[in-house]
Amino acid sequence: MSEEIISSLKSEFADSILKVFLEDKKILVTVKKEGFYDVLSSLKGMGFDHLSDVTCIDYIKEQEFEIFYHLWAHKKKLRVSVKVRIPRDSSSIRSVTDLWTGAQIHERENHEMFGVNFPGNPDLSPLFLEDWEEIPPLRKDFDTRKFVRRKYYGEE
Amino acid sequence: MKSNPEKEETFVPFHLPFGPQHPASGHFYGSVKVDGEEVVELEPYPGYLHRGLEKLMEYRTHIQNSVLVDRICVLEPFSNEMGYVNVVEKIAGIEAPERAQSIRTIMAELGRILSHITWIAIVSLALGLDSGARIALGDREGILRLNEVATGGRIYPCYFIPGGVRRDLPEGFEEKTLEELDYLKSQLNLYDSLIFRNETFVTRMSGVGIFNAKEAIALGATGPNLRGCGVESDVRKDEPYAAYPRVNFRVMTMKEGDAYSRVLCRRGEIAESISILRQLLQDTPKGKFRIKMTTRTPKGNAYFCCEAARGELCFHMVSDGTDKPYRVKVRGPSFSHTLSEFPYLARGAQIADIPAIYWSLDPCPPDMDR
Repeated sequence: MSEEIISSLKSEFADSILKVFLEDKKILVTVKKEGFYDVLSSLKGMGFDHLSDVTCIDYIKEQEFEIFYHLWAHKKKLRVSVKVRIPRDSSSIRSVTDLWTGAQIHERENHEMFGVNFPGNPDLSPLFLEDWEEIPPLRKDFDTRKFVRRKYYGEE
Repeated sequence: MKSNPEKEETFVPFHLPFGPQHPASGHFYGSVKVDGEEVVELEPYPGYLHRGLEKLMEYRTHIQNSVLVDRICVLEPFSNEMGYVNVVEKIAGIEAPERAQSIRTIMAELGRILSHITWIAIVSLALGLDSGARIALGDREGILRLNEVATGGRIYPCYFIPGGVRRDLPEGFEEKTLEELDYLKSQLNLYDSLIFRNETFVTRMSGVGIFNAKEAIALGATGPNLRGCGVESDVRKDEPYAAYPRVNFRVMTMKEGDAYSRVLCRRGEIAESISILRQLLQDTPKGKFRIKMTTRTPKGNAYFCCEAARGELCFHMVSDGTDKPYRVKVRGPSFSHTLSEFPYLARGAQIADIPAIYWSLDPCPPDMDR
């Protein structure tokens, strides 16, 4: 079944898909930013109805964020991960809230922790952190130890 | 009754706080906007237990992290350890020996019973059945002692490490566990008559917080909350890991999708876990319980999901070739349960039903905040 999905993705999105392969019973799709939403909405149509997680990774050397969408199909019992890279400055990617309602809260968390903007998400207000004035804390250039020394011990 | 236009003009919605005092909600605060007795909206304010675990892990080695992940959820450390060690092993390209897999499964199932029994205590406390809480917390003690016998720790065992488990099961552990399981099995009847068939409990739980399978899936529900709507979804069955391919068990499902069906799913899972444990304890494979793993892991990406007591628990790890992970993302089941399903189910409910809906979802604030 996973071969069918791979071949149909390859033929339908030849321009936007950079790489698609099967790894350990899981399909891994690398996609360009321009076509990522169409690929995800097509996967939703194929029965990938559960958005398990949205992970953001900060590749500071390449000045890029990598965003993973981990999907699961309840009927087909299959897992797909779609990854897309966006530039680190002016990081913004279309929200997928209209495909999976549950994406709202995952995107809100990633907005808070990485500063990625998700146009189309109805609520991106701070979630965990109160009165946070530093850079988003899960970015690689935020040093937890330096922050603690400065904030709580008054060291520079 | 006729509506009074003057009164409507002066209507100011009242914000009722739900939590963050521990007995009401765990360390979670929901601002409930009410109109009379009806909930108009519920806005969640998490973060009381946010420790930045994902960031802390980036500063620590894989072995140090296997101790840290216990703290993700206080009530069921074994599932978090199970997820973490498996994702590290996947990146390192090693596999734990069969005996270790079996021991891990035994401990994870004990952890599931532990978590469900603690939940019985909390849910009966939330609905005013005080004696249920006392009895369940007393029964929890038996499993905590088993934890101590096997691992040395009661609440935080720090037992699984990449490549196996820290030490072998002590002599006599099997017998002690089987004895405890017999006791728990007999206690289930008591829980049934005292809590699950208690008229107050049934009346307050049934017919509240209803969602159907489609809504639940869209909101990201997993575990007993999704199985309560009739979806047969269980990571242990769908993508078997550790020793689960070797055991037989049923996936508990209910059709109604209300709070009471979620409760019954959990009650049924305790019995299933007892049966899984009996199968595993009968023939634990002999052999090594641990293999050596290099401190450095190769570059790569791995995503691993396991079934925690609350639902799907996933770890995503990125390794850059050093002895520390470049990035770890934890997908705790309670994140979706509390922040996306709970506000949805609370809308339109009565104030008095809020605790029943909340605890029927079995949220764990430390797992949500990380």
